[in-house]
Amino acid sequence: MFDSPDEVIDQLEAQGYICNKNIATVVFLAEKLEKPVLVEGPAGVGKTELAKVVSAATGRPMIRLQCYEGLDEAKALYEWEYSKQLLYTQILKEKFAETMAGATTVKDAADRVGQEDSVFFSERFIVPRPLLRAIRADEPTLLLIDEVDKSDPEFEAFLLEILSDFQVTVPEVGTLEAVHKPLVFLTSNDAREMSDALKRRCLHLYIDFPNEELELRILNKKVEGVEQRLAEELVGVMQRLRKLDLKKTPSISETLDWARALLALNASELDEDLVRDTLNVILKYEGDIKKTQAELGRLITRKVEEGEETQAGSDAKQPEKTKPAKKGVLH
Amino acid sequence: MQQKIVDFTNLLRKSGIRVSVAESIDAFTALDELSLADRGIFKDALRTTMVKRSEDIATFDQMFDLYWSAFYDGLRNSFDQAAGDMEGEFDLDQMMQALQEGMQNMGGDQELDLSELAKALLTQDLDKLEQLIRDAAENAGVERIENMLQLGFFTRRTMEQMDAEGAGDQLRSLAQQLREAGMGDAEADALLELIDKFLEALRKSVRNYTERQLQQQNFDYMEKFRRESLLEKSFYNLTEDEIKKMREVVVRLAQRIKNVLSIRKRRLKKGKLDLHTMLRRNMAHGGVPFDLIFKQRRKDRPKLVILCDVSSSVANVSRFMLQFVYSLQECFTKIRAFVFVSELGEVTPVFKDKDINDAIEKALDGGDVINVYTRSNFGFAFHHFWQNFLSSIDNKTTVLILGDARNNYNDPRAWCLREIQNKAKDVVWLNPESPSAWGFGDSVMDKYLPYTDVAEECRNLKQLSRVVDRLVL
Ligand SMILES: Nc1ncnc2c1ncn2[C@@H]1O[C@H](COP(=O)(O)OP(=O)(O)OP(=O)(O)O)[C@@H](O)[C@H]1O
Ligand SMILES: [Mg+2]
Repeated sequence: MFDSPDEVIDQLEAQGYICNKNIATVVFLAEKLEKPVLVEGPAGVGKTELAKVVSAATGRPMIRLQCYEGLDEAKALYEWEYSKQLLYTQILKEKFAETMAGATTVKDAADRVGQEDSVFFSERFIVPRPLLRAIRADEPTLLLIDEVDKSDPEFEAFLLEILSDFQVTVPEVGTLEAVHKPLVFLTSNDAREMSDALKRRCLHLYIDFPNEELELRILNKKVEGVEQRLAEELVGVMQRLRKLDLKKTPSISETLDWARALLALNASELDEDLVRDTLNVILKYEGDIKKTQAELGRLITRKVEEGEETQAGSDAKQPEKTKPAKKGVLH
Repeated sequence: MQQKIVDFTNLLRKSGIRVSVAESIDAFTALDELSLADRGIFKDALRTTMVKRSEDIATFDQMFDLYWSAFYDGLRNSFDQAAGDMEGEFDLDQMMQALQEGMQNMGGDQELDLSELAKALLTQDLDKLEQLIRDAAENAGVERIENMLQLGFFTRRTMEQMDAEGAGDQLRSLAQQLREAGMGDAEADALLELIDKFLEALRKSVRNYTERQLQQQNFDYMEKFRRESLLEKSFYNLTEDEIKKMREVVVRLAQRIKNVLSIRKRRLKKGKLDLHTMLRRNMAHGGVPFDLIFKQRRKDRPKLVILCDVSSSVANVSRFMLQFVYSLQECFTKIRAFVFVSELGEVTPVFKDKDINDAIEKALDGGDVINVYTRSNFGFAFHHFWQNFLSSIDNKTTVLILGDARNNYNDPRAWCLREIQNKAKDVVWLNPESPSAWGFGDSVMDKYLPYTDVAEECRNLKQLSRVVDRLVL
């Protein structure tokens, strides 16, 4: 149990996750109030990662249910292991014969078989899927229902029942209750809006793109060996890039990928050429890349300004300012 | 505090954020677990429990500042200033000290009869003052304030409700008693001055509160107005921005319809065993049914053929209808879409496109299949459809026509529509003009009317979504 939101911040940082007070408060409350958290926000801002690090920080093993179109109860909750049942029937044939011995009427025989129902419809023959595993686990777990917006609305209606009382009724077996209430995280990319009913049961957390300071801290935490100057430039470009109207706005994961790529290229500062050559690491759509290339000058302006400042500041470097001249020669 | 949170919840509701009772209880429980000293945490706790849509976050932030931060900050400012404004070398702490001693000197036999307000003023208990002002304002009916001219009136009413004058009298007489009990004249005078200053600060704060109330009222009003008007705003002459906002509304309306559908489907689900298929599939196991196959319950989903007039007068109806249908594709077995002004062309691929908005805009522009820069000719378009696409219609097909039936005095060729109706399950016509205009001028709606099963005015989102509701539910 966390004692305060501040402690959440510290413990998640120890797991390599940098979070602000807002995220920490929600995580803290989720544990205290035993309520599921619906985490929304653009792709790659660390929604899934949050669940993972909370799992690590609390020592609750994570059980993950990845949602997709067509996911149904059988894949999410439990399935009867029908073939195993059948196998048992075959093996136990003789035993059955014993049971049946002496039955005089068909009804009598059927009744006797009926009495053995509970053998075949018991937890023994149930294949538990993530939801049931989370409910029946004998230690407290963290249940991650990832990308719940990808599931069908019918599945959502079903989730609703599970999330409201953490118990499952298997008609043949009875009600299976949670041994420990799992801590539940649902993530969504807003492919479709979740129903009000589901939202009412959850705490809501919206993770947006990080601000400059936070992103820099995340970068320093996750990618080792990036020079501070490069890190700052890179984060600056990312922050400005997000203000453009792109089809897919690059996220934290792209920042990290980019930093790693630049590191591999032994880059120590950003210039237009380098950015142009590595743009495909952070942008996935041809249109976005084109749009960005047109804005390249502005995206790295600050750096250029700084460069000019240093040049103006030290007279000694003045003669080196030959670039325009060179261009002139080329013409 | 409890009351304040209830009030705040009501304010959120008024500004259009849906907060259920369960959620406001969650907010209370959450606050119990936290130290409230940190405003940020306090705010986060309220938000995570009560605001569940990211679109509402901005409104919440605004309301939070309006309700929690601004007023209290103003209150503190006024009282800090009151002490700061005192003449000469005045030290508030010293004065409070003197006051304490003076009151002790007066002894127990003289009952000190101070109202809550007087005590709060004297000790500058800002939390208490805030609460007293809120309560008094409520009793004075401040939430009914409508305009600037009423500010003075409600300020006075609120002051009366908490008997500010009475509190002032009590405090002044206290100063008098202290003087008699031996407090120095200079100090007693300073105390009197301070009391006046505090009363003035109180009045300022009450006025400030009233002003905020007016702001809130306006905000509620504007919000509500904005949303309602978007649903009821006529499709004629929309700005880019309005079109954008309406698209979002359509997304939400479509989602709501889908939710209703899916809950209904869930109830119907789980069919019977499909013996036929099961035996066939299990041949490999020597006929022992290892894999169970269930029949899928099928609901009769309609086929849809849409004919969209894309001349500028009707473009918006077509635009949002196409968006609706796109979002609800899974509710139909098959959809085909056509656009026309005079020529008619098929734009069905719109529904495969990832970027729906672009695709629709392209279709409205003729989608490379027709020329949109001609004059409307419904007769020509229907004839073309009859010649080439009649076979796409069967008795499960609903034909949806969006158009104003303004035919530029061309031949309406209503018989084509009759033939279409004969083959189709239904013909539904949506016309952005009001029925009173049908058949007048160059409108030939009256000629087509006999061959429609439903014909409705469709001038705004509200009407449009009602039609969609009926199509799929
Ligand atoms: N606050 C953070 N601190 C440290 N690393 C972070 C943080 N946020 C994101 N990351 C990193 O960014 C990457 C993307 O995170 P994650 O996969 O959780 O995103 P997501 O929001 O779940 O995206 P999607 O919506 O695509 O599933 C991960 O590698 C994660 O380590
Ligand atoms: Mg994820």
